[in-house]
Amino acid sequence: MIRRKGGFVVQKLVNKASERKAAYIFIFPAVVLLAAFLIYPSLQTIRYAFTDYNIMRPDRIVFCGLNNFIELFRDKDFWIAVKNTLYFTVLVVPFQTVLALALALLISSRRKGVSIFRAAYFSPQVTSMVVVAILWTVMYNSSPDSGLLNALLVNLGLEPCGFLNDPDTAMNSIIFMSAWQGAGYQMMIFLAGLQGISPEQYEAASIDGAGKIASFFYVTLPGLKNVIQYVVMITVIQAMKLFTQPYVMTKGGPQNSTRTLVYYIYEQGFQKRNFGYACAVAAIFFVIVISLSLGMKKIIKAD
Amino acid sequence: MSKRVVAVLLAAVMVSGAFTGCGKTKERVNEEGESVITVWSPSDEPAIEEWWLRKIEEFNRLYEGEIELRREAIVRADSYAYEDKVNAAITSDDLPDILYVDGPNVSIYAANEVTIPLDDYFSKEEWDDFFDSSKQQNTYDGNIYAVGATESSVALYYNKDLLDEAGIDIPESKEDAWTWSEYYEAAKKLTKDGVVGTNIIMDKGEGLSYVLEQFWISNGTDFVNEEGSSAKGYLNSAEGIEAAKFLNSLIQDGYANIDPIQKEFHNGRAATMLGGSWEVATLEKDYPDLNWGVTYFPVADKDSILTSPTGDWAASVTKNVQDMDAVKEVMRFLFSEENVTTYAQAISKPPTRVSSYDVLTEYNEYPRSIFKEQLMETGHPRPRTPSYSVLTAEFAEAMLDIFTGVDPEEALNAAAEAVDKDYNKYYAND
Repeated sequence: MIRRKGGFVVQKLVNKASERKAAYIFIFPAVVLLAAFLIYPSLQTIRYAFTDYNIMRPDRIVFCGLNNFIELFRDKDFWIAVKNTLYFTVLVVPFQTVLALALALLISSRRKGVSIFRAAYFSPQVTSMVVVAILWTVMYNSSPDSGLLNALLVNLGLEPCGFLNDPDTAMNSIIFMSAWQGAGYQMMIFLAGLQGISPEQYEAASIDGAGKIASFFYVTLPGLKNVIQYVVMITVIQAMKLFTQPYVMTKGGPQNSTRTLVYYIYEQGFQKRNFGYACAVAAIFFVIVISLSLGMKKIIKAD
Repeated sequence: MSKRVVAVLLAAVMVSGAFTGCGKTKERVNEEGESVITVWSPSDEPAIEEWWLRKIEEFNRLYEGEIELRREAIVRADSYAYEDKVNAAITSDDLPDILYVDGPNVSIYAANEVTIPLDDYFSKEEWDDFFDSSKQQNTYDGNIYAVGATESSVALYYNKDLLDEAGIDIPESKEDAWTWSEYYEAAKKLTKDGVVGTNIIMDKGEGLSYVLEQFWISNGTDFVNEEGSSAKGYLNSAEGIEAAKFLNSLIQDGYANIDPIQKEFHNGRAATMLGGSWEVATLEKDYPDLNWGVTYFPVADKDSILTSPTGDWAASVTKNVQDMDAVKEVMRFLFSEENVTTYAQAISKPPTRVSSYDVLTEYNEYPRSIFKEQLMETGHPRPRTPSYSVLTAEFAEAMLDIFTGVDPEEALNAAAEAVDKDYNKYYAND
């Protein structure tokens, strides 16, 4: 008896040890890939952030201490990029989320022909952002003779708008088209969430005398809580990385109004070849995004 | 046991898969023992791609057993995509033997010792056959660092019907080229019925520096000093600010669009345009119904200097080259009289060798003769400074800021300061 029991324990231990070994072997490829393509480049970025590195002179990388960071804190363009990135995020996230939720509610019914709308609302998402950005650049053209939206405004008897050529409206124009492009994806997530709310809850609500609006606030929204948290989280992270739209549509202008942090990193690192300085901006960007994500997680948990 | 084997194998496959293609350096000698010379150049229109295939075959037949020429066509998109790839190759020390670079970038690569001097690749008589404009653009610190087969120029295209209707005469010789005031008055007269008076290249990028620098030069200044070490007092000089103000008046008064549609002039929506020499072929081929002409680049009102843009992509030899003799043979082949001529013909651009014009007689006739004349007599290459990438980005930004309401002096001061800062940081102590 005792022997058998002991044998069993030993066997279990052996199993555990070999399982652990197997586990390490299984995660090995993932770890190697992460290390090669994420961890190592990140560490290099941090290292280069403390150097004067002209990208054409990899043979002349000079350690410069905190110089890049000191310069950065005095750099007007950097702070404008921070401001623009936050402005974009703060506006696009609620706008896009509400838009996606509204679309999802519109097409969640099982009426005939709804699938056409579902495909239509989702289609901007499957189109490359570069293509979408070029199309919108044409639509936003500031001359009523060529720009679709301005032609519309003029025909309605309104003044034409500068859109991308006016520092006051350029970022808002990008926010609008980004939400239009991105909402389809979140709409799909919301649709899945809506299907997870059981019809009995709506039935019970209507028996208790709740109208459409009340059942939205007391049944739909609470039922979607987790989905909304997830959607907001990924939209914030995506929004912080804004690059393609300013790159294609405005080159960061006019008057710095659409220069975002990621665009600024690209511009400094590759266009102006200030690689060390770009790495310093990237390091700060990393800190901002990580603290935002952690902060949001904390708020959600506390909730 | 077998589980572990499978896991190890899987891991090995995945990891090796991830690294395939990395760490592979350029092949410099092939299996037959021939020296391999690799060329990188932007992918181009079909006629040029076909030229490359034909010429590579010809070269490899000629040098069988000695040299093998290869070319990688790299998508340029806007010029930055190409440069991003070159930057990556510099970092990994994996440059091709021959690298095509845009004219104004020749100095950047030369100053950073990415490319090597080519002065001894051709004899003095041979060099004399190349245009000065092209040699100037490709010279840095007294040495030639690149050779180009084609040149470019910009002149003023006009819609004959619209100008006739408005009763506007066109200058017949370059001494009579329109002054800025005449250009402005013409644009003003021609702006009506949904047609704008003129189109000044508005690509928000390199096109701005390429074309608009001439307004600085014509007004007696330039973007940077002769040594290429400072922009202060040039880019933002009183004459420069005056040039910016003039260009801005065209935009602000509505005689040129800040956001022109594609092919605005070609489609009859702009009465004139500052357009490149390459537009001649496009207009002839794709817009046969448009009644157009071309005249000289406009000049400043007072004490003006006759001027026109120049510059095109050119081939340079990188520091990573191993077989110096082989690369020289390839360069001498690519830029021989015959090949410069056939290349220029294929791409419909003016050739850089004077002798090519004996064959390409169309350049003796209007409209192409205008561009040839400008190239030989009034051409000014873009600034030769190792800080050119900062200069061109800052200039484009400054102009867009000015066109959207920023004070010209303020915008140009900021741009000049950024250029000088870059130069002082990386090149002043060389």
